[in-house]
This record gives sequence, structure tokens and C-alpha cells, in this order.
Amino acid sequence: MNAAMMLLVISFAAPLLVLVAGTINARLVPHVAVLATALAAVVVGWSFWQPDAAIRWTWAEVYGLHFELRLDGLARLYALLAIGIGFLVVAYASRYMELHLHHGDRPASDHIRFFFFLLLFMAAMVGLVMAQDLILIFVFWDLTAIASFFLIGFDQHEEDSRSSAMMALVVTGVTAVLVLVGAMLLHHDYGTWSLPAIIEQGGIQDSAPWALLLIAIGALAKSAQVPLHFWLPRAMAAPTPVSAYLHSAAMVAAGVFLIGRFYPLMQQVDWLLDVFLVIGFASMLVGGILALTRNVLKQVLAYSTISQYGYVVFMFGMGGDYGIKGASFYVLAHAIVKSALFLTAGAVTEATGKKTLADIGGLRQTMPMLALGSGMAAAGLVALPLTIGFFKDELFFARAAQLGAPYMVMAVAGAALTFAYIFRFWTHIFLGREISPSQPISTWLVWPVVVLGLLTVLGGIWPAPFTHIAEAAASVSTNSPQKLHVEYVIAPIVENLMAISTWVFGFGIYWTRRRWWRVALGIAHLGEQLGPAHWYYRGLNGLNHLSDSIHSFEVRDLRSRVASILLPAGILVGLAVLVTPNANSFEIGPIQQSDFTLVIMLIAAVVSGLVVMTLRDHLRLAIGLSSVGYSLAGVYAFMSAPNVTLVAIVVETILSMFLIGMMVLMPRTILRFETEADSDRRSISRDAVIATVAGLLVFFVSWGALSRTSWNTEIIDSQTVLTPAVHGKNIVTVILADFRGFDTMGEITVITITLIGIISLLRSGRLR
Amino acid sequence: MPTRDSLQLTGGMLQMGARVLLVPGFIIAIAIMLKGYADIGDGFSAGVIAALVVIVQGLAFGAEELERIAVARLAPLLGFIGLGLAYALAFVPVLFGYPILTHFPRMNEHAEHFGPLEFITPVLFDVAVFLVVYGFCVGAMMAVSRAEVRHQRLIRRARQRAGSRGGDAV
Repeated sequence: MNAAMMLLVISFAAPLLVLVAGTINARLVPHVAVLATALAAVVVGWSFWQPDAAIRWTWAEVYGLHFELRLDGLARLYALLAIGIGFLVVAYASRYMELHLHHGDRPASDHIRFFFFLLLFMAAMVGLVMAQDLILIFVFWDLTAIASFFLIGFDQHEEDSRSSAMMALVVTGVTAVLVLVGAMLLHHDYGTWSLPAIIEQGGIQDSAPWALLLIAIGALAKSAQVPLHFWLPRAMAAPTPVSAYLHSAAMVAAGVFLIGRFYPLMQQVDWLLDVFLVIGFASMLVGGILALTRNVLKQVLAYSTISQYGYVVFMFGMGGDYGIKGASFYVLAHAIVKSALFLTAGAVTEATGKKTLADIGGLRQTMPMLALGSGMAAAGLVALPLTIGFFKDELFFARAAQLGAPYMVMAVAGAALTFAYIFRFWTHIFLGREISPSQPISTWLVWPVVVLGLLTVLGGIWPAPFTHIAEAAASVSTNSPQKLHVEYVIAPIVENLMAISTWVFGFGIYWTRRRWWRVALGIAHLGEQLGPAHWYYRGLNGLNHLSDSIHSFEVRDLRSRVASILLPAGILVGLAVLVTPNANSFEIGPIQQSDFTLVIMLIAAVVSGLVVMTLRDHLRLAIGLSSVGYSLAGVYAFMSAPNVTLVAIVVETILSMFLIGMMVLMPRTILRFETEADSDRRSISRDAVIATVAGLLVFFVSWGALSRTSWNTEIIDSQTVLTPAVHGKNIVTVILADFRGFDTMGEITVITITLIGIISLLRSGRLR
Repeated sequence: MPTRDSLQLTGGMLQMGARVLLVPGFIIAIAIMLKGYADIGDGFSAGVIAALVVIVQGLAFGAEELERIAVARLAPLLGFIGLGLAYALAFVPVLFGYPILTHFPRMNEHAEHFGPLEFITPVLFDVAVFLVVYGFCVGAMMAVSRAEVRHQRLIRRARQRAGSRGGDAV
């Protein structure tokens, strides 16, 4: 079993193990989840010493689809984030969720749902980062969206939680469809679903730039980039471990991962890189300014994430060696420090019961370890020396400096904002005087933060392991081998000067906050009033209204219910009749002597049809209707089709019984009302016109269709020839089960759905 | 108007006919289905015939009788099993690289048979169609009859309550 296979198996086994443990005892679930992710973390660590590995199974070969996975440098980086950070988050959650469920007075069985979807998300991420087949990428991509929906909406009893989950699903789900469309366009241009094969063909063909744009939109929405960023701050309604995981290391990282995966193609489209530059910078700015104005801990971090992924997108836009290597290194460094800060927010809230910066302060004395761990992480995010963050900014600055002054200004502006809001975040929590007293908390809520903090410092002292991971990822993104080496240079080089000006400006922004505070709030307020979130709600409300008005028309009465189906169907069929070429159709064939009996039965059918029109009593109506069916069965009998006749009679009998059965269920008053109601002349003539038009339409459609078939018997002939070869003697059955078996599948699916509908409608008893 | 005696007589005849036809009806249905690939008939016709035989039991003996007959009680389940079987036949070949709904043995390959019954997957597919059609017809009728029984029970209870209170009957 190679490394790719090991990773895949262990990742997808983990959520299943949680389910199994849940059936034994719900309290076992957190322990099993910790063990399973620990094992996965060991495997992902081991995989770094293994050569690149691949899995390739053929499935649906006719469509050229393969289950093709590959553990390459890019996959290793993101799998490490998903599983490594995942392990720490699961360890944290094993204690946190117990308290969370306890506060909410919820059963221990809710553990199962939480850890199942968390681990399913992790598995989907592992699948996504290794997938090489375009359709497979889409499948795993969508799986992450589905799992995240259940995780964000975990506190389903809270309205805010539900609407946030829905918003995240709509934004990332709708844009996921764009990814699929992009994948299909690429397949159309390159003739393969395999991404490596497409990259190998080289060049950008016909519609490929548009395909890549669609994929980029999906990726940017997932990474919460402006203007599709609004779902992320709302998604903070989720329990803290979910925020820490999805919104630092996993879900938002999936977006920039996708850009990294398609980058060998994307870098060939210059205007697409410009799009990345614009959106990346806008996200840096918007996220940074809004993070400065927020008071809720997790909101500060959410906007910070938007801003930080803006950096990464900006770096992809700048391109070049430093840009791509820097982007990979940035994602790694950011995931470590940001998850530590999210976990800090959760631990602080757990200890004090408070969620906003205004209510929290001076915690360094009561929570020294947490202060130290998160302090290291915060230092990493603001890029102080001796942390991994220093190098992430150095690479960012190095590339900006290569491109010229405007880029340098943008880079320093973004980084200075980061310094300001993180400085505010950390100092308000841990320094100053104590505002709210804190309770002692479990060490399980602290040690993951300390580990992440130590990693931050380790990366600053010994960056080589981290740069190796990043260079392997960048080699995949650029499709050429890359080397990344970082070190401290104590000299007035341009990167160092930019870093120093970042700290100075950042501190300046923080220090002068009272002066610009109202302006920033005004910008935030304007964004809320006119921004994309506002249009999202308007769009959603509009759709709801449309759906409600169609629904209320449909359920008004039986007539409107039938009209809402038949009218659109009739219009469509009518249009189809009009545009269909009608040469050789609508011809009257000769009537021979042998057709005499047939004509008699047809007359009987017509007479039954006319009689039905005169009946008013419901029972007679049901019997009259069935006599139409029986006379048609007679027609089949005279056409020498005894089996069809038999089926027609049996079906007609069952239908009549069913019809009568339904009438028994109807309240008598309604039946009587319908029977005795005197229709006025106007409604009778209106019904007559509708019936005549509908009847004529059906007549012409059937006539056109029937007179056409006699001219083209090629398919029937070939099927007759093929029938013995496929072991059949009865061509009707062979057509139903084999030649047109897929149609039959559709039909029996509809029948089963109808049965489910009937049973669930009648479950509550008689119709009212 | 039929008299009370004539109603009893026809009821008795219906009951006898229904009971006598139950097993042969099923055997005919299954025969029509299994040999459908080699002769006239298929899963659909077999499904409606079997359903009719069972529904007639309900007509003759009442709704409670249907609840006693296992194949009637479990009809919806049989329908779902049928759909599952059809989907399995459609999608399992996909896992092995064949197109959707590929049948085995493939074209022109040798197929074992026992009399008119051939051991080929299309016959299984036909069984799936049989189960779905049977499940639908009987399941839908059962749903109607259960709804009516439940309704009658409610009325009876309401009457009893009204009676015990000495108020007006509902």
C-alpha cells in the first residue's frame, strides 16, 4: 500500500470509526476521533519521507473518468495542514465540545454528528488535495461544502447558525457549480479529464481562459475573497473548533489550494493574474479595515482570515518565483498561527464567558501559558523576527520589491493593517487590567495553542523543514523544480526596510485609532448597507417570494394545481409541434377490411369518452373512465397483442379500484358539493374551449408521432437483429430491460417516488 | 337493488374465488416474469397481475386480511428493494469500468439456462421491475385502506367519548 492509498484509507476510515464508536457509546466518540486523527497525522508525517505516490483506478471508462489521485508536493502541504492542524483541533474539541454540549443542555449523542462531519471534512480535504481528475476534484470539492454546511450549522436550534450555514452553502455551493462548468470546458478543449495530461499538452486553448476564470471564482469564493467574503464572518456562528479548523487551515485553504493546483495553466493567462492582484489587494484592505473595527473575538479573526488569504491571492497574482513559493509558505505559516489564535479565542471565552474585546482584559496573570502560546502565534502573524511569520512577509516583500513601488506600497499597507489589528487583539486580551474574572479551564484547551505557538517560533529559528514543504508545493504549482532558501540578513536591504516600516505604520494605526475609528466604522456600515451581503439577502428574499407566489397559486384549488402543471407542459408541447418538421406526418393511411373490428372498438372508446362528459356522480365517473381504458384494451386485443391487452385490463382494474379508494377517503361534503354545484354558462364554455384545444393538441401530437414511425424502422430492425445476440427471444422485454433499460430505470424511480409521496400523504389519515 | 341474500352470496363467491386464485395467480405472475426474456411477458405485467391477486384479497376479506398477508404488508419494502436492485445492476458495472447498466453475460457470450429461464442479468433487472410495480400497486392500495381504517377508528373513538359524556354524537 503506497502513501497516497494509506492517507486516503485512514482519512475516510476515521469518520466511519466515529460512527461505529457512536453506536457503542457516544462518550467514546471524542477519544476515537483523537486517536484516528493522531494516526492520520503519523501517516501524513511518514509520507514526507516517501516518494510521490499515485492511485489510478478506471471507472466509467466510456466517459474517460478515472479515480486518479497523486500525493505530490502540493498535496503534501495541504494534507499536512488538514490533518496536522486537524489533529490539534480535534484534541482541543474533545474537551471543548463536552463543555459546549453541556452549556447547551444537549445529549452526548451530538458528539457523533460533530466529529463525523469534522472528520468527513478532513477526509474530503485529503481527497481533494490529491485528486488529479477534474470530476474527482469537483466531487471532493462539493463534499467539503456539504460537510462544512453541517459543521457551521451544528447548533441547529439557533436561527443564526442555520442561516449562516445556508449562506456558506449557497456561496460556496453555487460557485462550486462554476468549477464544474470550468472543468467541462477544459475537457471540451483538451479532450481529457486528467489535469496532469492537460498541463502536459501545454498552451492555452480556445475557451480555456474562461474555464480557468470560472474555476478561479469558485476558488476565491471558498477562500472568502472580496466580494464573496461575507459568508466567512457569519460562519463564526459555528463552535470554535469548527471556526479554527475550517477557517484557518482547511475550507478557506481549499480555495487557494485550487488556484495552486491549476496555476500551471492560470499563470499563462495574464489578465487572470491581474484579476488575482485586484481581488487579493481588495480583500487585504477590506478584511484588514473591518478586522480593526470588530469587537467580537472571532469576528476580528474572521476578517483577518479574509485579509490574509488576500495576501496569498495577491502573491499568486504577482507570480514569479518569490510569488509562488511565497504563497505556499504563507499558507503554511498562516494556518499555524491563525488556528492558534482561533483556539485562543475559544479558550478565553470558555474561561471568562465573554466574547468581545471590550469585556476581556489582563488575562496574562491567570492564563500565562495561553498568553505565551497565543503571543508567539500573534508575533508570527505580525511577522516579528524569530517567528515563521517573519519569512512569510519577507518573501511577500521580496516579490513586491521586484515589481516596483506601487506593489511595495500595497504590500506594506496590507501588512501594517495586520500588525494593527493583531496588536489590538492580543494586547486587549492579555495586557492591561483584568476586566472579567476567569475560571480555570482544561489543559486540553491550552496545550494545542502552546504547541502551535512553539511551531511558530521553531519555524523562525529553523525554517528549513517548512521551506522544503513550501518549495515542493511551489514546484507543482509552477510545474518546474523550485528551491526556497530563507535566512536572516542583518543589513538595510529593501525587505527589512519594508518590514520595519510595516511595524512602525502598524503601531501608528493602532496608536491613532481614536482618530480614524469613526471613519472605519462608517466604511464598515456602508459595506453592510450596500455590500454583497445586502444583495445576497435581497436575492434570497426575491427567490423566496417567487417560490411562495408560485406555490400559493399551485395549492389554491385542484384546478390551479392541474393548470400549473398542464399549462406550461401544454405550451412546451405546442411549441415543439410547431417547430418540428412535419413532412410525411399527418397522413391518413388506408382503412382495410381487416381493420373493421378495430374501428368498432375505437368507436366504443370514443362513446365511453363522450359518456364520461355527461356523468356527475363520482362513482359513475370512475367507472365511466375505466370503460374508456377497457375499450382501448379491446383495441389491443384486435391488434393481436394479447400480452398488452392483459396488462391493460389489469392496470385499468387496479386504477379504477384506486380511484374509488381515493373517493372513499374524500370528505363526503366535498364530493357532494362538487356533484351538486351548478356551473354557470361562462365557466362551462371556458372549460369546453380548454378541453377542445387540449384535445386537439394531443390529437395532433399523437397523429404526427404515429404517422412518422412507419417511415423509419431502422432502429426496430437493428434491435430485432440484435435480440438473439443478447440472449433474448421476446423483443419487448429486451427493449425494456436492455436496449432502453435506462428509460425503465427512470420510470421505476418515478414510480417509487410516487409511492413514497402517497404513503407520506396518507400517513396522517383521511384527506381533509 | 340487490337483496341482502344476494349480496352475501356474491360476497361468498368473491371470497372463494379470491382465495382459490391467490397462489396460482402468484405462480402465473412469477412464471410470466421469469420466462419473460424467452417468451411473452415481462416484469411489469407480472407485477400488476400479482398486485391484482393480492388487492382482491383485501376486497373480499377486508383491510385486516391484507395486514395478515406478509407479501401485502411488506409491499412498499419490496418496491424499494426492487429499485435498489435495479440501481445496483446499473451502477455496479460502472465500478468495473463498464458503461451504466451493462448486462452480463455480454453480447454473443454463452449464457446458462434452465428450461426457458436464462441466468442473465436482464432477467434480474426484470425482477426489479416486477418488485417495483408490485410494491407500488399494493403499497398504494394499502396506504389508502390504512388511511380509511385509521379514520373509522377515530370516528368510533369520538362517538364513544361523546356517548360516555352523554352529549351529542359526532
